[in-house]
Amino acid sequence: MLLTIKQMQVKYGNQTALRIHEPITFEKGERIGVIGSNGAGKTTLVNALLGLVPYEGRVVTQLKPEQMAVHMQHNEYVTTVPVKCIMETILNTKIKEDKRLQELISFFDFEDCLRKRFNALSGGQKQKFTIIMVMMQKAELTFYDEVTSGLDFETRQKLVEKLVEWYRDKDDTLVIISHYYEELEQMADKLLILDQGRVIAYGKKEELFETYCGKSVFVMENTPENQKLSQEIKMLKLTNHQLALSCKDDREEEELAAVLIKNNVDFKRSHSDIELIFVNAREQFYKKQGGVEA
Amino acid sequence: MKKKCTLKMVLYELRNLNGNLMPHFFGIIFPNLMCVLLPRTVASGLPTEIRQEVTNSIVLSMAIVIPLSIMFLGYGAVYSQEVERGIPLRMRLFGYEEKSAIMAKVFAHLILLTIAFVIFAVFQMTVTKVSVPAFSSFLCLVVSLYLIGVILLVISHALANLFKRFSVVFGLEMGLYFFIIILCGMMGVKTSALPNVLQKIAAVFPMTYIANEFVDFWQGGAYQFMPFIQSFLFMGAIAGILLIFSLYKDKRAVK
Repeated sequence: MLLTIKQMQVKYGNQTALRIHEPITFEKGERIGVIGSNGAGKTTLVNALLGLVPYEGRVVTQLKPEQMAVHMQHNEYVTTVPVKCIMETILNTKIKEDKRLQELISFFDFEDCLRKRFNALSGGQKQKFTIIMVMMQKAELTFYDEVTSGLDFETRQKLVEKLVEWYRDKDDTLVIISHYYEELEQMADKLLILDQGRVIAYGKKEELFETYCGKSVFVMENTPENQKLSQEIKMLKLTNHQLALSCKDDREEEELAAVLIKNNVDFKRSHSDIELIFVNAREQFYKKQGGVEA
Repeated sequence: MKKKCTLKMVLYELRNLNGNLMPHFFGIIFPNLMCVLLPRTVASGLPTEIRQEVTNSIVLSMAIVIPLSIMFLGYGAVYSQEVERGIPLRMRLFGYEEKSAIMAKVFAHLILLTIAFVIFAVFQMTVTKVSVPAFSSFLCLVVSLYLIGVILLVISHALANLFKRFSVVFGLEMGLYFFIIILCGMMGVKTSALPNVLQKIAAVFPMTYIANEFVDFWQGGAYQFMPFIQSFLFMGAIAGILLIFSLYKDKRAVK
């Protein structure tokens, strides 16, 4: 066990920003994706774990805040010196003498940026700079808080691919906060779903999918014809223009596939879809609470 | 492991400081320039026998502008911008204790202050032709200026930590800067010529004594140091209280 959060409550004035009742444990080597709408408490959770905001409750861990590394949403540095100077000073090393740093700079294609000042870097280069610095901390637990926010689609994809490639076969524990489902599909193996400061669900992606979506899900266009074809199948919540049908076993899946093929319906089959998990976990959570979401 | 203040950090802060030319202008160019211009304008109509004393007085007044510009205005401008942009927090998250980061900044500013003092001294001895001081008077001035510098830096740091916005901190410090240089008699008006209330306020600043009274024992002689020391204690206490309050407001919830 790397860290367990017990009965955590974070308040900003009279407003409760985060409440965690059931214990949440991060194990070594896990990749935990944290997902939730704006104001869900994602960044508040990171800030609490880093000791940046006061909280009630307990965090059971041997780690000190300075043994955790974090890529925050906004990372700023002085603009009066080249980033190479910032890098060497903060990391207390010399690039030419540090093999690991050289490897990271080369891996992220950052060589040409070293002489630039931080304000002269593009959005993607700024993110890469902090990622390199964070990776150099060799921390037991690393947080990536919306690491691709503000980047264009292509830069975002390339950056996530780089992160996935770097951490492949490594046993670092990562907490990745993101609004992008596809990023978490690639990087996370566990999910922590938050909404309005409450924990909606926490667990392995596959387990959460089975709990909230079934064995597999067929997604197709939401048309009256398709609705008629799927009347007897359990329907999941998704977007208004899509139908999501849940299959609980192989037989049901085969039957539904046969019907859809016979009727020439375009569909997508999935057995692991974070968007579906997120939407349906939230739906079921509020149903159990006996109310509607605010 | 928390990172400590290293020589590398100090050199980095020095480079960072040199990236902003405001302290260099106000702390090096401005006082030297004023020491050339003011004696020519203020002292030109005065009898020859008191011209040298006026020149000495101007040089002493302008010496105080150096720590005010570098340690107060300059530090405040640089550090408040960093606070506003969250740079000290980012450094903390990289494992730098706030104390270490501030120590590096203090040393860097002290290095620039020393460079400014050396340039000022050489310039005054060669160009303005200030009288050669008694060693004890010179030592007293140097120690006082460094002490004033450190106290001003502490106040500036506390203000930046409290207000966290460059525009507010810089506006406030600019206001205080001009208030102090006018009040302490550095802009040509002697403190004794100010209204009574302002004279009483001026008495709590050690700069007032340097600008108005140090000229009397510049080349030797006795001086009653008690009010001067009291002003140091008062300003030091204000700085300490402000710093503790700002750190208390800003402290990390979990250590």
